[in-house]
Amino acid sequence: MAEPIAWRRPRWATIGLWFAAILLVLLVVVPLFELFRGAIGEGWASAGQAFRAAGTATVVANTLWTGAVATVLAVVAGTAAAFVTERAHIPARNWLRWGLLLPLVTPPFVSALSWAQAYGPGGLTDDLAGWTVPGLFGGPGVVGVIAVNAAPLAYLILAAGLATRVAPDLERAARAAGSNGWETFRLVTLPLLRPALLGAAALVFVVSVNSFGIPAVLGSPAGFGTMTTRIYQDLARSAAPAAFTRVLVLAAALVVVTITVVAVADRRFGLARVVVRTGGTTGSATPPGRRAWLPALALWVYVTITALIPLLALVLSSLTRAVGLSPIPANWTLANFGEALRGSYGAALGRSVSLAVVAATLVVLLGGLAASLSRRRFGRPIGTAAILTFAVPGSALAVAVLLAYGPWLRDTLMIILVAYLAKFWALGHRSIAGSADAIPPDLYRAARSGGAGPLTALRTVIVPLLRPAIAAAWAIVFLFGFHELTMSTLLYGPGSETLAVVILNLRQLGDVTVTSAMAVMLTALVVVAFAPVWLVRRIAGRVPR
Amino acid sequence: MTVPLECRGVTVAYDADPVLSSLDLVVEPEEVVAVLGPSGSGKTTLLYAVAGFVDLSAGDISMGGRTVATVEGGQPPELRDVGFVFQHYALWPHLDALATVAYPLRRRGLDPSAAGEQARDLLDRMGIAHLAHRKPAELSGGQQQRVGLARALAGRPSLYLFDEPTAHLDTYLRVALQEQLAEQRRASGAAAVYATHDSGEALAIADRIALLRGGSVVQIGSPQDVYNRPADLWAAQLTGPASVIEVEVARAGRKEVVIRCEGRTVKAEGAAAAPGWASMLVRPDWAELGGNLPGRVMQVWYRGPHTDYRLETAAGLVEIRRDGAPIAGPGERINWTLRRVWQVSDRPAGGAGP
Repeated sequence: MAEPIAWRRPRWATIGLWFAAILLVLLVVVPLFELFRGAIGEGWASAGQAFRAAGTATVVANTLWTGAVATVLAVVAGTAAAFVTERAHIPARNWLRWGLLLPLVTPPFVSALSWAQAYGPGGLTDDLAGWTVPGLFGGPGVVGVIAVNAAPLAYLILAAGLATRVAPDLERAARAAGSNGWETFRLVTLPLLRPALLGAAALVFVVSVNSFGIPAVLGSPAGFGTMTTRIYQDLARSAAPAAFTRVLVLAAALVVVTITVVAVADRRFGLARVVVRTGGTTGSATPPGRRAWLPALALWVYVTITALIPLLALVLSSLTRAVGLSPIPANWTLANFGEALRGSYGAALGRSVSLAVVAATLVVLLGGLAASLSRRRFGRPIGTAAILTFAVPGSALAVAVLLAYGPWLRDTLMIILVAYLAKFWALGHRSIAGSADAIPPDLYRAARSGGAGPLTALRTVIVPLLRPAIAAAWAIVFLFGFHELTMSTLLYGPGSETLAVVILNLRQLGDVTVTSAMAVMLTALVVVAFAPVWLVRRIAGRVPR
Repeated sequence: MTVPLECRGVTVAYDADPVLSSLDLVVEPEEVVAVLGPSGSGKTTLLYAVAGFVDLSAGDISMGGRTVATVEGGQPPELRDVGFVFQHYALWPHLDALATVAYPLRRRGLDPSAAGEQARDLLDRMGIAHLAHRKPAELSGGQQQRVGLARALAGRPSLYLFDEPTAHLDTYLRVALQEQLAEQRRASGAAAVYATHDSGEALAIADRIALLRGGSVVQIGSPQDVYNRPADLWAAQLTGPASVIEVEVARAGRKEVVIRCEGRTVKAEGAAAAPGWASMLVRPDWAELGGNLPGRVMQVWYRGPHTDYRLETAAGLVEIRRDGAPIAGPGERINWTLRRVWQVSDRPAGGAGP
């Protein structure tokens, strides 16, 4: 009495997979292919010649050593901070955690601006005590501010590593087996932490090498150039064919350096996994005992100097009536904010917000699509591809997109959006795929057995569980898109300037107070954007294990 | 009545490695079949294949007389009319107990109020109506699995699939849930497949037990059958506490044998094909203290209602269970005897080795 079976695997899954793959090729593969074709199109000899052109060797050397030094500084700072917040019994632990993450809220070039406002000539400390940080404009300043900005990334990875890889019981077992504190650290903690340390180092190095805003604000005025600022300057005079070839060659070299680092790191330590595990920590790590005031105090001093004072200086200068006046209440005004919202500036703010919203929404849709289709077989390669494309430096990606789609989209908001999607789809994919992998497959099976079809099960079980991850992915992409400077400054045209571009251009003309007001808005709006995410997380409660 | 489940030559292979190989299993109406096997033997995969969560590489499955899965594909899980209770509960973190139990009812087209009412009745039957608005994170393991059971009952399936539902519960909760599960299953009148690695559980709840090794059924029979007459040494050890002794069969027989051990003979229930040396299975309840065989106590475990002794004898180590408190301590000499034996071979019966 066997009945014929009329059942087939759903067609839509295959179609969706192809759609995602084609989009990925169009967004990333085609532009990069064009970039490399342009860079070595006229043969290796001419590419080499561009490399040997005046000053090119210097900017390459500058890029590499700033990257290396900033990596060491950021990883050391991040590790020390992680040990204090996760392993020591300190007062106000959560406040300290937030304080350490503070630099993530401001875009890197705003950090650079605020450092200049705090510690530079005519800045807050200059005003109050006649003291400035030596070398702030130039190599040391660039390295320092890059390190301070990258330290939160290292901190997040190390704190997660301490929580997930180094269970406190493993350390207790070593102590019980007779090793002292130092031996335990050296023989147990450090080896377990190695993947996290190396993963953090790779990430920080890539972020440092890709950094554009900080060297543009702190390096360029002092004549200190990196590969990214050189690409920016050369593209501005790209009418000269030699300069344009140099742009392509430098961009291609930047891609090779970062992709190599990330590919090696991912292969050796599974960077994709190291980065995605930023879960909570266990409460039992720090047994009650005497509170460690000193390390906590040291970290608070660090947070104050590196984040709080610069932010304060930025806010004060945005409130001050004119450059050169002391930031005292008598000189305060809100006029700078009015100025910052006026006319073309307000339009730039609108463009930044809409670009960020559209990019975040599309990335979440694409990321969700790719994540839902890439479980099992395609998971690992797509995860690696996502990490790799995110590592492609913004400067190089912008040049590549310009090369591939410039003929049709030059000087439009559309080309900026294309670059954003290419750069940020990885963020959406990783966040959503990571969360989807954490959902036990039995939850889906239980829904199917309960009588739900595939789409109903997706709608009633999987999507509600992914909601926090989707919200987080949206907010992260919004943050990056809203703060984005590197790519938009290379791709904008008349009428498509983003707020970040306007700030940088105005700043170069010397307008400190209005650009400070804009930078404050750029930072404050992100806080507003993150509030809904926080609410969703509160309402959704605990994320499933 | 039609046969609730029939698996014929079912093979499931992930990447060419077969997890189930040519498995045959028939479940009769209202029957509970326990699938007993160690971890990795394919219990969960078998249940997944029946529920429609995995595709078959060979063979076919029919339920209620209709073929639901072949190599070409199968009916989707939502149409198979099974109630699945998962090992790790698989409760949806975003739904409270009431909404979880109402879920299958809603999928069957009931309106929200009717589904809610029926779900509440089910929770009441489970004795957890007061937890209706708790989410899984706010429930203990035993409470979670009660919700999981209520969810499976809600769809009024014609076949229940239990995947080690009590594996992660404390001992006393385990017994309580087993009772509840058996009672509700009986009340529903549906057949069930119950996967477990715990022989005590399988013996207690099943009408028949299928021993699973390497993805195929090694032996199937009533609980008494598999306990008293295991197919081989592996089956003997899987189905309960087992001692194996080397003795000489003085007189073979089909119901009764005479065994010679250290020059003394004992008459015991059991079967042996021919006289000569043989490996004999002895369950703890098949041997007694007292009698004419010499031995020495090695270990004693007092367990409340009874005491377990491990004896060193000329034939090997023997475990014996006796009611009441210990009557001898380690090192003491003590006599023992056999009431029953079962000849086992350490050559695996049927198919693949363990």
